Amino acid sequence: MKKALLLFFISLNVLAHPVIYQGGIAVSSSNMGDMNNNYILYSITNRWAFGVEHWRMGKDQKNNDYGFLKMNHLLWRHNGDDSQANLYLHGGLGVVDQEWRNKNLKSSMMGGVEADWETRVLYTSLKYLEFTSTSMAQGRIGFSPRLANFNELQTWFMVQGRWVRDMDETIQITPLVRFFYHNILWEMGSSTRGEWLLNFMIHY
Amino acid sequence: MKMFILGVLLMSSLVKAEEIKVEVKGMVCSMCAQGIQKKFKSVNGVESLDVNLDHKLVTIKTRDGEVVSDSVIKKMITEAGYNVGNIERK
Repeated sequence: MKKALLLFFISLNVLAHPVIYQGGIAVSSSNMGDMNNNYILYSITNRWAFGVEHWRMGKDQKNNDYGFLKMNHLLWRHNGDDSQANLYLHGGLGVVDQEWRNKNLKSSMMGGVEADWETRVLYTSLKYLEFTSTSMAQGRIGFSPRLANFNELQTWFMVQGRWVRDMDETIQITPLVRFFYHNILWEMGSSTRGEWLLNFMIHY
Repeated sequence: MKMFILGVLLMSSLVKAEEIKVEVKGMVCSMCAQGIQKKFKSVNGVESLDVNLDHKLVTIKTRDGEVVSDSVIKKMITEAGYNVGNIERK
């Protein structure tokens, strides 16, 4: 039980819209094997969100720990009758701790672009992030087997492909299941390499 | 002056509660639509709010004596990140 709880809490991840409604706070934490991502973001408008973000990437004790003051921007949104499409920009200024290189707290930056398109039964997203010393590309495709209404539990089946420079020799494929209910989202999966994915997000 | 205040009070008491149906475009995710609910919590006069993803409708029930204008509705839904279609009052 302790192990399961530990796995759950260290594996929290948030993979949803990087900017939410005006005045909304998004809290997220994620972990999959050799990657953790945690953030708290406050959306001052439905176009801009600011906050802090932490990334930990690496394997074999060669970890890059990034801490950023983060800014996300919704560059474009299309609200269709039955769909929504978004284009986001990510930007961050902060520090990176590369203890294994004896380079503690070096200044760092990150930036990237993210796009998604979703209906109530289909979901796709693509994300590319560039960091001072690495880069990451991630894509997702998924479907919901059942139309859930506003106050019902929503279930999605997804496949995630992820590649991180200097970390992934090939694209890491992870089938996962996503649930959300009211303002809480959580995801569970396991990559083809056997690494667990557990994600969690809450909107206030 | 007293008559004016009395008149205003009388007029406001005559405003009946309404049911307002708002068509919302882009509302495909229930978690994201939570923002709509949160935005309307700060609006005076809103008795209750219901979100229906199947019909892409937000139904607002107002209190007796209170008015929730179209411009307020449009502002709240836009700030939540969506586009407003038709607004129908009953």
